[in-house]
Amino acid sequence: MMELTQKQWVRHAVTHPVEGFEDMRWKKAGSLKIALIVIVLLFFGQIAYGRLYGFQFYISYDKTFNIVPYIVRSFVLFGAWVIGNWSVCTLLDGEGTLRNICVYSAYALIPYVVQLYLNVILSHFLIRDEYVFMQIIELIGVGWTAILLFSAIKSVHQYSFKKTVLAVVLTLAAMFIMLFLLVLFMSLIQQIFIFISTVYTELSYRAKV
Amino acid sequence: MKSKLKRCITAIAAFAALASLGVSSAAAEGAPYESYNYDRWGDAIPSQAGYLPDRTVSGIDLGVGAFDSPDDIFFDSNGLLYIADTGNNRIVVTDKDFGGAERIYDRFTMPDGSETVLKQPMGVYVSAEKGLIYIADTENSRILVSDMEGNVQQVMTKPQTDVYDQKRTFLPQRVVADKAGNVYTVLGNITTGAAMFSPEGEFMGFYGANRVEPTAKIVSDHFRGLFMSDEKKANRKRTVPSGITSFDMDGEFIFTCTSSTTQKTDTVKKLNAAGKNIFADKELYFGDYKPIYDATQNKMFSPSMVDIDISEDGCINCLDFTTGRVFQYDEECNLLFITGAVAKQTGGFDHAAAVESCGDKLYVLDSSKDTITVFRETSFGSIVHEAASLYNDGYYEEALGPWQEVLKRDGNYRRAYVGVASALLRKGDYKGAMKYAKLADAGDIYNKAFEGRRREFLKENFTAIAALLVIGIGGLIVVGKYRKKRGTAVKTEKKEAEQL
Repeated sequence: MMELTQKQWVRHAVTHPVEGFEDMRWKKAGSLKIALIVIVLLFFGQIAYGRLYGFQFYISYDKTFNIVPYIVRSFVLFGAWVIGNWSVCTLLDGEGTLRNICVYSAYALIPYVVQLYLNVILSHFLIRDEYVFMQIIELIGVGWTAILLFSAIKSVHQYSFKKTVLAVVLTLAAMFIMLFLLVLFMSLIQQIFIFISTVYTELSYRAKV
Repeated sequence: MKSKLKRCITAIAAFAALASLGVSSAAAEGAPYESYNYDRWGDAIPSQAGYLPDRTVSGIDLGVGAFDSPDDIFFDSNGLLYIADTGNNRIVVTDKDFGGAERIYDRFTMPDGSETVLKQPMGVYVSAEKGLIYIADTENSRILVSDMEGNVQQVMTKPQTDVYDQKRTFLPQRVVADKAGNVYTVLGNITTGAAMFSPEGEFMGFYGANRVEPTAKIVSDHFRGLFMSDEKKANRKRTVPSGITSFDMDGEFIFTCTSSTTQKTDTVKKLNAAGKNIFADKELYFGDYKPIYDATQNKMFSPSMVDIDISEDGCINCLDFTTGRVFQYDEECNLLFITGAVAKQTGGFDHAAAVESCGDKLYVLDSSKDTITVFRETSFGSIVHEAASLYNDGYYEEALGPWQEVLKRDGNYRRAYVGVASALLRKGDYKGAMKYAKLADAGDIYNKAFEGRRREFLKENFTAIAALLVIGIGGLIVVGKYRKKRGTAVKTEKKEAEQL
């Protein structure tokens, strides 16, 4: 039973929201490589969504291009989710490993990524009156990903429904704390850097004499 | 590739040359500032001037002695300029070329034959229909309505009704009258709108009060108020909207402006006869987009619109006291030109007080320099005005020529791209309209042009698309059948292998 290649497993997981990830866990399937590809595609999808959208729907500020927000919205957020979930669920008797959480979560993101590209393409063919189609696609994509993500966490840790809800809420809190600490840390580093550079400047002026 | 690079370099060089030319020419004309406009992202960029300072006129030039902090000017329908010379307690009338004073009103004959004088009159208005002069005689707390000979027809004083809080003063600062003879007056320290009087001089109520902006503080105060005792509520700081500072009449509409720097909504309003603000639902912003920060005083300077004027072709001129600039908008509130500055030279102001327009000229009154500065329209300005008025009247195609001329002179003039895009859309040149709408950042025009272009494209290529669709679907069916067949074949093979 269920002798599938890695590619077929992707399809199986995405099209079977309830059973898919359970089967994957049973068969110890899932590839880190595919997960990484999904996240990279998410990154480029976000950029396309922000910059290549049809002009009748959205006008981007194309005087400057800053890549940092796109990195944050893809790699950083996903990383925070995986690490946050792993650290929370280790304490909550979860059975998932870091690798599995990463792979399952990435698989769950596929509908969202597909939705991004689909909408960018459609935005060049539709007019404002037909925007509702794009909204429907977006809604389906986001909803599907939400269900898959929930199912992924549920099966990777072998949780009950209630416990999964708790885990997801705690994970979100953990993500928030992590990002907060990150910002704090960065601003601290900046302060230290400014201090050091000021001291250096001061010294370089004095040392000349 | 090489030619592209070359073209790019030439374009940049040409642009640089043009830019330097533009700046130097503006400087040569003698404006003490560099004219600018806003691009599609709301950033200030250099632009061609629509108006340039021509001359300044003082009371001495008119031969009537220096003005003393004049507060208001008004052009009547015959092109005569009425100056409310506040400090000298008089109204000076001159023609628009400032050939000399036509007349000075400082004494009036009351209906009972006695004489009366003005005291610090701050506003003046002349009704073309009635042939009457309306004067806001501020320190005398009255409005004088006089005929052209100085015979007072009517006096309006503090209304003795419950609607008007008797503890408050009655200090009329600006006055206008509509065609029917209703008189509207802006009062100092009254925030409930302009006082309105019937042609018979009866107080009819207030008109066109500003709204309170729903800031976070006001919202939280409201919720806190739910839990307070009445006594405590009565002692709280009250939030009232800032009052109207000035207004102008244009046909049936009254335009008001408010000089409060803290207020963001309702700084400029267009009121209909019922006092409803027509601009209320539009997201409009008047004045500079970004407040100016002065490091020496650690203060932000927000726009403070002290006077408003509607020119004959419907353009709205708003005078910003903070920056000494006149912001000119067309009927649809698109920014056309920014003129003026805070400066000592001609074209700059110390204490800008009032703005008026007559023909192709702008007149700005400075109540600290005691002068009137005349700005004349440049040739660029006249083309833009022509194009804008054609455009606003719906003659998009006729406006195409002028707009293209505008773009030739100033490629950064965003409004022109909107005009060209609309004209091309009307003509049915969807591709061109899309291109210009993109440059103008006009999503709605782009949307319409795109719809047209898509329809055109489908019509032209219908057969090709239909053929592709048929082939595609056919191909899919064939492939599906083939795969199914192969799939079953593989399965049976597998089964056989298992059996063996």
